[in-house]
Amino acid sequence: MRSYVVTALLAAGLGYNLLAVTPRIANWRLPGDHQDYEPAQPIAYSHRLHAGELAIPCLYCHFGAERSRHAGIPPANVCMNCHRSVSAALAAVRAEDSQAKAESRRARRIVSAEITKLYASLGLDDTLRPIEGAQRTSVRWVQVHKLPDFVYFDHRPHVAAGVTCQTCHGLVETMERVRQTTPLSMGWCVNCHRSTNTTGVAGRRVNASTNCTTCHY
Amino acid sequence: MATEPTRRHWRAPEERHRNVPSPDGPTDSSASDAGATSFRRRGFLKAAGFSLMAAASASCERAPERLALPFPDEPEGVTPGRAMWYASTCGACEAGCGILVKVRDGRPIKVEGNPDHPLNRGGLCAAGQAAVLGLYDGQRYTGPRRAGQPISWTEIDSDLGTRLAALRASGGAVRLLSRTVSSPALQATIDRFLAGFADGRHVTYDALPASAILDAHARTHGRRVLPRYRLDSATVVVGIDADFLGTWVSPVEHTRAYRAGRTLDGTPPRCSYHAQFEGRLSITGSKADRRLRVAPDDEPLVIEQLAARVATRAGVAFDARGGVPAVDSRELDEVASRLWTARGSSLVLAGTPDVAAQVLVNFVNHLLGNYGTTVDIARPSRQRLGDDLALGRCLREMRDGAVAALVVLGANPAYDLPAEFGFDAAAAKVGLKISLAPAPDETSAQADYVCPDHHAFESWSDAEPVAGLAAVVQPAVRPLGSTRAAIETLSVWSGDARPARELVQSHWEREVFPRRLSGNVFEAFWDRTVHDGFVEVAPSSAPSASFDVSVVTPLTPTPRRRLADSLTLVLHANVAMMDGRHAHNPWLQELPDPVSKVTWDNHASLAPATAARLGLASGDVVRIADANGAGSAELTLPVHVQPGQHEGVLAVALGYGRAGTERFTDIGPQWIGAQPGVGATGRVGVNAAPLLSVRDERVHSAARCVTVRPIGSRHELATTQQHHSLVEPHDVSSAGTRPLVVETSLSLLGSAEADASPVERHASLWPNDHPMGAHRWGMVIDLTACTGCSACVVACQAENNIPVVGRDEVRRHREMHWMRIDRYYSDAGDDVDVVHQPMLCQQCENAPCESVCPVLATVHSDEGLNEQVYNRCVGTRYCANNCAYKVRRFNWFTYAHPDERANLVLNPDVTVRTRGVMEKCSFCVQRIQEARIVSKGLGQPMKDGAVRTACEQSCPAGAIVFGDLNDPASRVSVLARSGRRFRVLEELDLRPSVTYLSVVRNRAASATEERHD
Repeated sequence: MRSYVVTALLAAGLGYNLLAVTPRIANWRLPGDHQDYEPAQPIAYSHRLHAGELAIPCLYCHFGAERSRHAGIPPANVCMNCHRSVSAALAAVRAEDSQAKAESRRARRIVSAEITKLYASLGLDDTLRPIEGAQRTSVRWVQVHKLPDFVYFDHRPHVAAGVTCQTCHGLVETMERVRQTTPLSMGWCVNCHRSTNTTGVAGRRVNASTNCTTCHY
Repeated sequence: MATEPTRRHWRAPEERHRNVPSPDGPTDSSASDAGATSFRRRGFLKAAGFSLMAAASASCERAPERLALPFPDEPEGVTPGRAMWYASTCGACEAGCGILVKVRDGRPIKVEGNPDHPLNRGGLCAAGQAAVLGLYDGQRYTGPRRAGQPISWTEIDSDLGTRLAALRASGGAVRLLSRTVSSPALQATIDRFLAGFADGRHVTYDALPASAILDAHARTHGRRVLPRYRLDSATVVVGIDADFLGTWVSPVEHTRAYRAGRTLDGTPPRCSYHAQFEGRLSITGSKADRRLRVAPDDEPLVIEQLAARVATRAGVAFDARGGVPAVDSRELDEVASRLWTARGSSLVLAGTPDVAAQVLVNFVNHLLGNYGTTVDIARPSRQRLGDDLALGRCLREMRDGAVAALVVLGANPAYDLPAEFGFDAAAAKVGLKISLAPAPDETSAQADYVCPDHHAFESWSDAEPVAGLAAVVQPAVRPLGSTRAAIETLSVWSGDARPARELVQSHWEREVFPRRLSGNVFEAFWDRTVHDGFVEVAPSSAPSASFDVSVVTPLTPTPRRRLADSLTLVLHANVAMMDGRHAHNPWLQELPDPVSKVTWDNHASLAPATAARLGLASGDVVRIADANGAGSAELTLPVHVQPGQHEGVLAVALGYGRAGTERFTDIGPQWIGAQPGVGATGRVGVNAAPLLSVRDERVHSAARCVTVRPIGSRHELATTQQHHSLVEPHDVSSAGTRPLVVETSLSLLGSAEADASPVERHASLWPNDHPMGAHRWGMVIDLTACTGCSACVVACQAENNIPVVGRDEVRRHREMHWMRIDRYYSDAGDDVDVVHQPMLCQQCENAPCESVCPVLATVHSDEGLNEQVYNRCVGTRYCANNCAYKVRRFNWFTYAHPDERANLVLNPDVTVRTRGVMEKCSFCVQRIQEARIVSKGLGQPMKDGAVRTACEQSCPAGAIVFGDLNDPASRVSVLARSGRRFRVLEELDLRPSVTYLSVVRNRAASATEERHD
């Protein structure tokens, strides 16, 4: 093969590649960096409502953060602590109530479309009776906060040191849909580990190590 | 670019048609000689550049979407990412060590010894550690089979129900053949099952038998028991062909107790005296203070001579008549007088299958007053219950066609019985053969019905390894296949369809709870036991037995059977395969034998003198046949020259050549130069069991005279013996030799106390500029304690996701073990001394690897760790070349598990390394991090002992101690100041964090301090 043929082929390949990639160029980022990632979730769960308006503590649902490496996505039975009785927005329930009163019948149980999905994952119908033949399946949540590969992050020491959830996860209590607000890159982690060693966390001295094996092993 | 063909110039005729580079450097790239089709450098660089651009532009986007699936309904107590530990009992052999199974997100990933268990106190052998991989063996039975075809349990139960009912009606003989059943609940179920038949009998045998010891006690004490040997109370131990630290009866328990008798750093310091008589070199022999090589024929005579000498001292008349062994009588006098001096705290152990000799062993122990102190028959061991005579009777019945049904449980008689027994022919005459084997084996292949048992981690069961020590086996995972616990299967056939848990629990309520030492409520007692894994109870009542001197008779003299030019074949177990039941476990196959360092094969060991006489060298393939022409069984094996072996002995390991090991043909990376991972037979090694001999209806492992004939071919054994050598090549060797191991004798220890460290530390020109944090991790390895058993190697492999590379890659020096055990020989008279030296990354303060890494992939932490950062490593291998200890391992390939299911065993806390990455011991940094996080959560400083590395945790001898050198009171600091301390290659001033403690042998002062090179 003549050299110019090779060059032409390679140039064509690169050109094609660039064309194919152009639509995605807006999303250009370094590998492993997922800042501003905001995927759609199977259930339109609102952190603004739960964590902001209702002020449910983060650790109520993400209880793993204190005990385990993973903060964890709450299992559906944790949701059911409240949603056994709370099944729809208050306005919808009130509207049904007043309508039922007007029609002088018993008010029906109103279940919002999103809560129906939660019940379905536990194999329950709208009246919380098990559906014949239904299996319990996990809600297929999409992971938002992704660390780059080859890193071991552990929630426990961060929670124990008093680092607020918002430091890494942003103001989740204001988000309708969760978005990764920080880069979660190594430089970002190390900067914090360095600065907190001098500034401390919430007025307490901390010992945040910057050894490689703190995160990589 | 010049593309026109140019003329090619040549200087000599031979250059005319060949592409010979100019001696002055590469030719001009435009001077293309092979036509324009070849890809020149410029073209390559261009293509590489374009490809890089294309790959980079395509890859700079988000990673693919990943789901985060929570439990729909999370079980109580489970937190994803947190390990659960279940106390259970090890099922890898009958020793019944207590274990803790680590379960991470539903899968067992690691086994550790239970630190509270009275037998093993936290230690666990290599086979026990590797049992977790056996759980994920893709070749286990996934369900019951009839005539090789899968069927359902309902079908098989109704089918067998009919056939067994017919047998009950006809009164046909039913035999249940098993190895030692250590579970009392299972034993009770077996008894119930067999009681339903007019002629039902349970036959127990062990592939590694101790039957003669039990029979000898039946004669001398009237009770057929195997004593529990208390090596921790013994100050003089004499072993005669009993590899009690390696493979014999209960090696972990023995190792722990043996070590307890040799604690030089304890208060007061103790050092027992150990003499070993043996034909081959076992790891027990390698630890002996005095090791005497005797031919197997002479072992009973040695016992008799010792008996005579001890009897003289005790003033009891005893006349040795068997003959005179070829052992220096002064040595025997010495051993006998040491025994006599230490009476009441001495111990004689023998592995010989000769009952008359075992009676004499009992006689000696009786004369020495060892019964009740070091030999415990009040709480005997239940780890070997086999009865060779019953086995012989059963096989005779089978041959006569008198057995209607044979149930095989746990044992593999088609594989591990001598050819003389003719099991296959006998089994062919049995009408109904049922196997309860969990995985396909030689016996289940012949069975009409296979009703697979669970793996020990899937099943409820119990164990009583020593009378009075009741233990529970609890499942750590749901059964992976449609298997059923043997206790449940037998119970169903007896008409009781309760699940295993209820069967075990009700047995405990009936039989064990009444023997309790405390507590009144069974449920609390049971819950406590399941939590702890064991409970001490009163031993089942047994009449106290006294020694009956009348049965002691001298040996009958036997004519020397030795034929000219023949050798005695010694068939022995090794720590990995044992009787062959672990042959499907690649971790154990790749574990180097502690003495020969051979992996993936068994071999014919010959003493150097014998090999020289026969003109054989390591690797020559020989055919081994009976010298008298008895039996047609022959072995074809490669020779391995083994120093320290008796000249009249040819030693071959049992447990190899298992059916189904063909699966390892393609183990390891399948690249263009790959060689098959198995031998010429298609299997890993060769089964030597057919050459076991039968004498007086007992299985003898060292009684056959064989001849050896080279067949003219060679076979390269995958031995790690000379891999990763610390010895400098001769031609580059600087002044003197490097001391690698320091040996001393007990009497010199006091004088050497000042400083055993062989090298003076010089002042360094470099400032000590390593920043030091709160901790400085270090390790001390006591070489006096280390037996070389290799439990740490497998523990490290399990903990750190170390891949198996296969036989071919081992031959290429590419084994991946982070921890190896270097075995050094040194000359001791006409014999050799052996030292086992665990070698792992020394985490040097002045690490030579760090200074040569061009990408800073290996750096020093402020806690003294030499860190390896996998994602930075580009694989230059400079670090491995510059490592003085040769402990770095390179991933030449991505070593995938050949069996995908085996990936479930991977530790999620450790990165799985890919091709092109260097790796090495990290001091189990994931455990350090875990302990640190836990202590931070509690707001307390880390305690000494909070971090235990996998090797330290598994060591039955407690030879490894890990901890913080910054804490002067920590165990590791105290030991690192010991007078026995030394560091390997200290003259290089690398300042390793691993300190070794010298080998001390309980010998007279005549021996001077030795250093190996």
